[in-house]
Amino acid sequence: MTRIDRIAKKINRVYPHIVVSEKDGCVRLTGEMDRWDDVLSAGKMAVSGHFFGVLNDIKLAGFTQPPIKRPVLDDDRYDGAVCDVLVIGGGVIGCSIARELTRYNIKVILVEKQSDVATMQSARNDGAIHVGIDLPNKTKKLHYLARSNCMYEQLSAQLDFPFTRHGQYVLSTSWWHLPIMLALKVKAMRQKITNLQFMGRRKLAGVVPNLSKNVKFGILMDKGGCVCPYGMTIAYADNAVQNGAKILLNTIVTGMDVTDGVIIGVHTNRGIIKPRVVVNAAGVYADVIAEYAQDRFYTIHPRRGTNLILDRQSKSHIINDAGSISMYLSRKLRQRVHSKGGGILQTVDDNVLVGPDSVETPYREDHSTTIESINAVMSKHALTSPTMSNRDIINYFTGVRSATYEEDFVIEYGKKTTNIVHVAGIQSPGLSAAPAIAIDVSKMAVVILTKYRIVLANNKFNPVRKGVTNISKLSIQERDELIRINPNYGEIVCRCEGISKGEILDALHLPLCVPTLDGIKRRVRAGMGRCQGAFCQPLIMDIIKEDRGLPYDRISKKGEDRVILSVNKE
Amino acid sequence: MQQFNTDILVIGSGPAGLSAANSAISQGATVIIVERERSLGGILKQCIHDGFGLVRYGQKLTGPEYAQRDIDVLIHSSATILLSTFVTSIVKSEHGFIAEFVNRQGAGNIRANKIIFATGCRERTSKQILIQGTNPSGVMTAGTAQHYINLQGLMPTKRCVILGSGDIGLIMARRLTLEGAKVVGVYEIKATPSGLTRNVVQCLNDYGIPLYLSHTVTRVFGADRLTAVEICRVDEHMKVIPDTAEIIECDALILSVGLIPETEMHNQLSLPIDKNTSGAIVDQHFMTLMDNCYSVGNATHVNDLVDYVSQSGEIAGKHASCSCQPRFFVRPKLNGELAYFIPQVIDVSSSDKDIVCYFRSKRDIKRAVITVKDKDKIVYTKRLNNVKPTEMQRILVDISKLDNTSIVSVELEEICEN
Repeated sequence: MTRIDRIAKKINRVYPHIVVSEKDGCVRLTGEMDRWDDVLSAGKMAVSGHFFGVLNDIKLAGFTQPPIKRPVLDDDRYDGAVCDVLVIGGGVIGCSIARELTRYNIKVILVEKQSDVATMQSARNDGAIHVGIDLPNKTKKLHYLARSNCMYEQLSAQLDFPFTRHGQYVLSTSWWHLPIMLALKVKAMRQKITNLQFMGRRKLAGVVPNLSKNVKFGILMDKGGCVCPYGMTIAYADNAVQNGAKILLNTIVTGMDVTDGVIIGVHTNRGIIKPRVVVNAAGVYADVIAEYAQDRFYTIHPRRGTNLILDRQSKSHIINDAGSISMYLSRKLRQRVHSKGGGILQTVDDNVLVGPDSVETPYREDHSTTIESINAVMSKHALTSPTMSNRDIINYFTGVRSATYEEDFVIEYGKKTTNIVHVAGIQSPGLSAAPAIAIDVSKMAVVILTKYRIVLANNKFNPVRKGVTNISKLSIQERDELIRINPNYGEIVCRCEGISKGEILDALHLPLCVPTLDGIKRRVRAGMGRCQGAFCQPLIMDIIKEDRGLPYDRISKKGEDRVILSVNKE
Repeated sequence: MQQFNTDILVIGSGPAGLSAANSAISQGATVIIVERERSLGGILKQCIHDGFGLVRYGQKLTGPEYAQRDIDVLIHSSATILLSTFVTSIVKSEHGFIAEFVNRQGAGNIRANKIIFATGCRERTSKQILIQGTNPSGVMTAGTAQHYINLQGLMPTKRCVILGSGDIGLIMARRLTLEGAKVVGVYEIKATPSGLTRNVVQCLNDYGIPLYLSHTVTRVFGADRLTAVEICRVDEHMKVIPDTAEIIECDALILSVGLIPETEMHNQLSLPIDKNTSGAIVDQHFMTLMDNCYSVGNATHVNDLVDYVSQSGEIAGKHASCSCQPRFFVRPKLNGELAYFIPQVIDVSSSDKDIVCYFRSKRDIKRAVITVKDKDKIVYTKRLNNVKPTEMQRILVDISKLDNTSIVSVELEEICEN
């Protein structure tokens, strides 16, 4: 019996109608099923270390994937553009790779279909920098996380994005968990991952003021931290642009010309780009891009997660200077709350964030929120801090993780196509692991590139990027001096967050300029406070209009929408 | 750095701040008034409809007209007016308060003996009422829509749904219709309208705009701009009734779903907040539990008429211009159908006779009686008709008989008559 027959037998025992075959070194599943859960479970059963990956092509009956959201733009602006490396995808992975690639004297283009970088998972996650002690050994997840975790102090200083290392807490409601925690401590010590400290209720109460009565003990891992995930991505993108990379927003890849295992042209809505090497960092669409490249050997199955942002004022009764707090759940409890991960976090901006939950879905781009997820997240974390209530919520958002059936990162050269590097299946702890992934992938791309040309170091590479100074964090004297030089820093526009006109103008003048309301919000937090922009949105529109010379009816929230539908001429 | 010293610092120049400043100055105090916007008047600047001032002036004025009366007095007075000036922090010092601020001239600080917070309120957002779905443009508060239309001449919608029948929602329904937009309807989760009856008549009925009670928006659609909203019926407990969803196409969802007092500065001084009003706890002079620190207008509790907002400023301004005597509080116990009662504490050491009290009921009551008692002795009682949660009640209570042995209770009861 061959390996593929064995897998087929296993799957057919449960799902007799599914056809299991071997295709280009992968396990391919075809057929039709009525329930998405079954599609997933068949996919999971097909995982095997002896194949490149699972191609789960089982159709879900009655389901059609909504078409990929395309930019409205349609022109030939970049037709015939030539580059050494084309990075597809402007998430934290794509942007950090682009930045690392600018260390070489090569031409780098990054294409992103949205109107800003970091609009998908890189913005829609909790920003936790994980310790990863729970990850299995020998996974790429653990390898890259362990290498990245210790890079954050230097990176955040170089790229000027906020980072805190307040530690990661895991609480337990049962003394039966003590042996598990002790085993983790041994692992932490042996692999030098983190210090791991046991904490009793009294110590924990200093961190969680209204600690649930059910909590028995907890552990603190000092290597846990937190970043602003989109802030980090934007910082990487700015630094890449500073060092000569070109970032094309609103640019979608629609197909590829592949000849003899080599990608020779990449079709976009803005013309055909001719790269020597392609880096596939396309997130939930990575397997679609792989298919374009005739090199698909994994399948992305989307997994939704919803996070809640709570008012800064609620911090006092929920969390006190901790990076993240999560509950170690027994299997029984896990089933009751329908979730595995997630926690309570103190963000770098001092908000409280709770979540995420974890829901499998066939939709790749559905970021709409549901009341079920909100309730699930709230009820789960009320297990830790029972005083949390819906009244504290100021915002919530849903992201879609791009998981593979192997549930590990895919960081590999093409299997059939020779000039592509795949960076796929990047889910948690993908953000935390991005810095090390970027270093390796840039090197992998350069290895391919050396077949075509000589690659030297970029002598002019500057690793330092300056973000927008948050003037509310300066002393009153420093503020006074700054305002005297530039009075715009004295004109407060966003009252909830105390953001000045000067900072908004600075955001518009960063290397990667995104003159939308959300673009500004994500760069300087204007509109991110408890009024959610109700007061400052019209004022920010005025600043964009003035600075960019855009008429009101061309200013958007996120790129292709319009905030104002008509202008009264009088 | 800019340095100022003053008796009284007023933060906010809406109707509450203006009248607080004016009344303090008229009593001979020196006043600094700080406003974060470029001009005085607060939210009244954008309220170009009429109906303001009926109580105070016996006239129907527009918002800007109403504000202008106080502004005219203020600019001809001794007050120091700091416009486009944003207070960044407030701390209590040995002799009073120190407020740090920034404006285009630089940073600075103001030392004040007394402080009056007139910071107004803000609107509840779509996320605070847990509307689900995508995150498109076109979902905005009524106040933001009003700003665009009335102050900037910009139309943010052509066809919209209004959620919430608060006064701003009703007024915006009319305003949007007059500006050529189609208002598909005003939807209210409660079984009764939230705004004043006169606004329901003048803003909706007169323009043929439908009002749907016991309905709410549960979901929004549209990846970029709003394309539609999902509306559901709700039961008597305001819970969504399944299978009543209806999709309505529109390009904007305008929200008038409640106002919340702005208490960020109050929090810097750790002033106690009343859970029912979401504003600071105050005595009959609108002084908070911290001596020499006042909170007036909508920053204390959301009023339905600007006239009462001004009145609270007047009371506080006048009181702040005298020296503060040691206070002795009695804390009225609330019974029956009271949603809240202001003042939350009564200073019985003052020589006041009649004090102004405000309250709201928890539910609609046809015939009610409000009673203020000291132990078993009735201090005040009044019968009221048609008491609604949406309409604030105002009574004058003689407290001259109360002293530091009083145990005060306030009760709002329904009267059952044959």
